[in-house]
Amino acid sequence: MATDVVVIGGGIVGASCAYYLSKEGIKVHLLEKGPMGCGASKAGMMHIVSWEEPEIHLKLAKASKKLYQELNLELSSPIEFRQTGSIVIIEKLEQVETFKATFDRLRSWGLNCKFLTPRELIEMEPNITPDIAGGVFFGDDAQVNPLYTTLALASDARKMGAIIDTFNEVTGFEFNNEDHSISAVLTKRDRIPTSAVIIASGSWSHAVGNLAGLNIPVEPRKGVLAVTVPVPEGIINSQIILTAGYMESVKSGSNSSLSVAANIQRAVNGNLVLGTTRQMVGFDRKVDPYVMANVLKRCLRFFPAIAEISVIRTWAGLRPYTSDLLPIISPVESIEGVYVATGHEGIGITEGPITGKLITQMITGKDLEFPLDEVSLKRFEKNNNYGGL
Amino acid sequence: MKEKNKDKVSCDLDIVKEDWDLIICRCEEVTKGEIIQAINDGATTIEEIKRKTRAGMGLCQSKTCFRAIQRILAEVSGRPVASVLPYTSRPPVRPISIGILSSLMEEEDD
Repeated sequence: MATDVVVIGGGIVGASCAYYLSKEGIKVHLLEKGPMGCGASKAGMMHIVSWEEPEIHLKLAKASKKLYQELNLELSSPIEFRQTGSIVIIEKLEQVETFKATFDRLRSWGLNCKFLTPRELIEMEPNITPDIAGGVFFGDDAQVNPLYTTLALASDARKMGAIIDTFNEVTGFEFNNEDHSISAVLTKRDRIPTSAVIIASGSWSHAVGNLAGLNIPVEPRKGVLAVTVPVPEGIINSQIILTAGYMESVKSGSNSSLSVAANIQRAVNGNLVLGTTRQMVGFDRKVDPYVMANVLKRCLRFFPAIAEISVIRTWAGLRPYTSDLLPIISPVESIEGVYVATGHEGIGITEGPITGKLITQMITGKDLEFPLDEVSLKRFEKNNNYGGL
Repeated sequence: MKEKNKDKVSCDLDIVKEDWDLIICRCEEVTKGEIIQAINDGATTIEEIKRKTRAGMGLCQSKTCFRAIQRILAEVSGRPVASVLPYTSRPPVRPISIGILSSLMEEEDD
């Protein structure tokens, strides 16, 4: 049977596209140059974030969380979805005012959140340092196993007829002469005739776009993480704890300078995942031990009690970064049949399912759940602020 | 769950029939049956087996079970053992406490 849509990228976004398209009876061929989920989808944390601003992120996150609740019931294998909530620690008194403004804004959007005094926070987390200014509990946040989700989406898409083609790399594209619409995808193994292509290649989307003469302004933003041995509940009670500095770190400069913010999450198996950093240093995924030491020091600053716990593994991942910190969920105007679904930076796990669903709505010509002008590829053309890439 | 796996596997090799519930990865308690199931589901590399089953993700980071998993993958997929590449090894290789790993900075400062 002929392919209707080629998905380039086997991360959570590509797998979501494959899944939701297959549900519509569309014949999908997913290409992944490595094994499934070998980029940012396997490298990140487990957090489904409800509070990332601006409004378009809040909308995407809310819709995606709803999809996660459905996926948790409908996928054939477990994805470890848990309604956990999260805690954001406010470190210093001078941060309280700024954070209060953010908090009030988020509340006005209808988010379930609660301000915590240091005392309330210590009651929730007896091992936290008393040297803090307070915190916020975000009740809408949840946790999921991103890799299991990616594998389950792909596996169920395959059951509905999708081809999941791993260890096969895209080498080029072919176009119809008359109207410059897409006609085929070339890979290192074969030629796949198709009338639609989704570029969902994460940090590698710029390189894949280049093969089609497109400039997709996505760059890798590195983060390092460590995982510990499983720890009993009680050392840390909450499943997700970050610091207010995390939000600042996300917004910090897009350069090679290192930004560190504590982020501590407890996986279903009890392992603690500790992070993280933001740094633009190309595609290098080596872990610098000094950078790692910095991260662990930040985590110890809030939880001195975890000093004795052993780290068993460290690694780095590459978030697909765009200059305005918004994803690209968009058709390509210059080539009919080409779509882009990437650029989610640190919240690709949060927004993966809704991205697949929205791209499916675009391809099937259905009404979109909400307008997507802010996440169009066109926005970069207008300002022409991607010339440097 | 492990009993259920047995019915799904169509492979007729001796290695599949025997010791289905044998623990191969002791840290994460992954059985031979689960590893063979992952291969049957399409895993062609040790990394993919790891991601499907958690085999090799525990305390020893596959130092104990790597050879056994390599052998199972080679036999089930009919490939030479040497063609099955090991896991990507990541620091710190042996478990080291957060306290010690984080003190790297201070030692440099002195």
